[in-house]
Amino acid sequence: MGPIFRLSLHQLAKRRRLLLILLLATLPVALAAAISAFAGEGESYKADLINNLLDAMLIAAIMPIVTIALATRAFGDELEDRTLSYLVLKPVRRSLIVLPKLLSSIVICGPLLIASGAVATLFALDGSGQAVVAVGVALFAGVVAYAAIFTWAGLISTHALSFGLIYVFLWEGVLSTFLGGVRYLSVRGYTLAILHGMDEKSFEVLGQRVIEFPAGIVGAAAVTIVFFLLTVRRLRRMDVP
Amino acid sequence: MPEDIKCPKCGSKTVVKAAKRGPNAGRSFHVCTRYPECKGKVAIREQSGQSPTPQTTKTEPTIDVRGISKWFGSVVAVNDVSLQVYPGITGLLGPNGAGKTTLLRMIAGLTKPSEGEVSLLGKPPHDNFRLHRRVGFMSEHEAVYGFYTGREFVKLVARLHGLTPLASAVDRAIETIGLTDVQNRPLDTYSRGMRQRMRMAATLVHDPEVLLLDEPLNGTDPRQRIEFQDLMRRLASEGRTILISSHILEEVETLAERILLMVSGKLAAAGDFHTIRVKLDERPYRVRIVVGNPRSMASALVKMDAVDSVTVDPDGALVVLSRNVYALQRSVPRLAQEQKIRLLRMEPLDESLESVFSYIVER
Repeated sequence: MGPIFRLSLHQLAKRRRLLLILLLATLPVALAAAISAFAGEGESYKADLINNLLDAMLIAAIMPIVTIALATRAFGDELEDRTLSYLVLKPVRRSLIVLPKLLSSIVICGPLLIASGAVATLFALDGSGQAVVAVGVALFAGVVAYAAIFTWAGLISTHALSFGLIYVFLWEGVLSTFLGGVRYLSVRGYTLAILHGMDEKSFEVLGQRVIEFPAGIVGAAAVTIVFFLLTVRRLRRMDVP
Repeated sequence: MPEDIKCPKCGSKTVVKAAKRGPNAGRSFHVCTRYPECKGKVAIREQSGQSPTPQTTKTEPTIDVRGISKWFGSVVAVNDVSLQVYPGITGLLGPNGAGKTTLLRMIAGLTKPSEGEVSLLGKPPHDNFRLHRRVGFMSEHEAVYGFYTGREFVKLVARLHGLTPLASAVDRAIETIGLTDVQNRPLDTYSRGMRQRMRMAATLVHDPEVLLLDEPLNGTDPRQRIEFQDLMRRLASEGRTILISSHILEEVETLAERILLMVSGKLAAAGDFHTIRVKLDERPYRVRIVVGNPRSMASALVKMDAVDSVTVDPDGALVVLSRNVYALQRSVPRLAQEQKIRLLRMEPLDESLESVFSYIVER
């Protein structure tokens, strides 16, 4: 697994891609710093703002976009330049090819997104440790679930990036905002449920639009496992270019 | 003492040693020590002193293809092909688009046949990751991980094969193809020929018993071709099965003992190269000759044994049909000189490989 993980890190960690991720990850921090600077001590709307900032900006937009940009390329680059045969024609189980590919996407975008969310929360919620941990755990669960979905998408289609963006905008953005039932089948819904479940006090504004905490945990885990297995199945059955 | 036999589990050669420890210690089994996780056992016939029976004998084909077809949408790439490949060098010949690559990819397990069965070392190759320990495949696509050095690339492949000790396996593979001097340069800086050779090193690093090579001589210079041919002969003499695809007859002519000819997705001919070559030599060639006085030259040419027929095309050039094109080549200048006719041009009209293969198919 080690050689494929290192190879995938090499392939994914391209300078322009990393710069784009860094830029996107900086946005919530900058906004949270601005909120913190302009709002007075103990202003209640600070909490509302950070709740909405985390949901609408980081969890609904930046996290999926960054994960799409990386995870769809985990196999995408190798399918395009036809180097995937170097991996699949080796005595290595398909699951041990998929797992390091998935991990490499998580390792690259996870820390940046978690750091972004944690720092933004620190600024806006005046250093609440529990809130920071909740944000970190929720974002980690979201990144892992999205990475599993988009690694699979990158293996089944050469247009995974476009399809991914449409899915994020329509399903995770529009439909999960307005239709309560969709939240049970939405990574955004699971992420918010974990965030709220771990620190209800700091994120009470989200209370009206989140699903139950256990449903969030089970949902995120199920999505990750199902899409990991689908990717392994696809790699076993496909015609490798 | 190590025995020169194959492990039935991983197929490695010369790595099966008598077990020193455990319940089978040196008595009735040899245990493979090539890969830490293998531990394949080979029964020892102690009383007769014979070496253990290898899994693949001479009578069993290494590659057995039965009625396979592959179509992509409405395009039929390979159409009902059956063939067997035995140890030694076999050339897979055919013009571009004949289906050679698709066939090789199905044999390697990269692509699943739409119909029919493939057996490689007695097992289906598709989704059979354990089998790849015994097989080396080199695709026609020259893409490599350009950010790796040549050595890092071969090392990656060796690691994926779980080879131990790693460094000596990598050294041996790179030394075999003679790129030790440039092994620490990034692959992006290699010439096309060097990249091909480093890919070959990666294909050989795990000492496979079956080699599937798709157009391996692309981009190599004449000296590298000779070295490659020597290497292939040496590997074949060690009992390996080597299947090399090419669209250039001459590339395979001096190398393969047996050839398989593919045209338009079908197996057009199979056999030893001599038989196929005789068929090729019997084929009439068309040669276009431009001279100052075509009618006089045509009269002189029809009297030659090497000439089957002569026609004059609308431009006034002569189109000669000959079964002995070498004799024709030698005779025409002399004939023109004797007849005091100015010879302006002489060119073959159907030298393309497609026409050669089409001729064999028609036969």
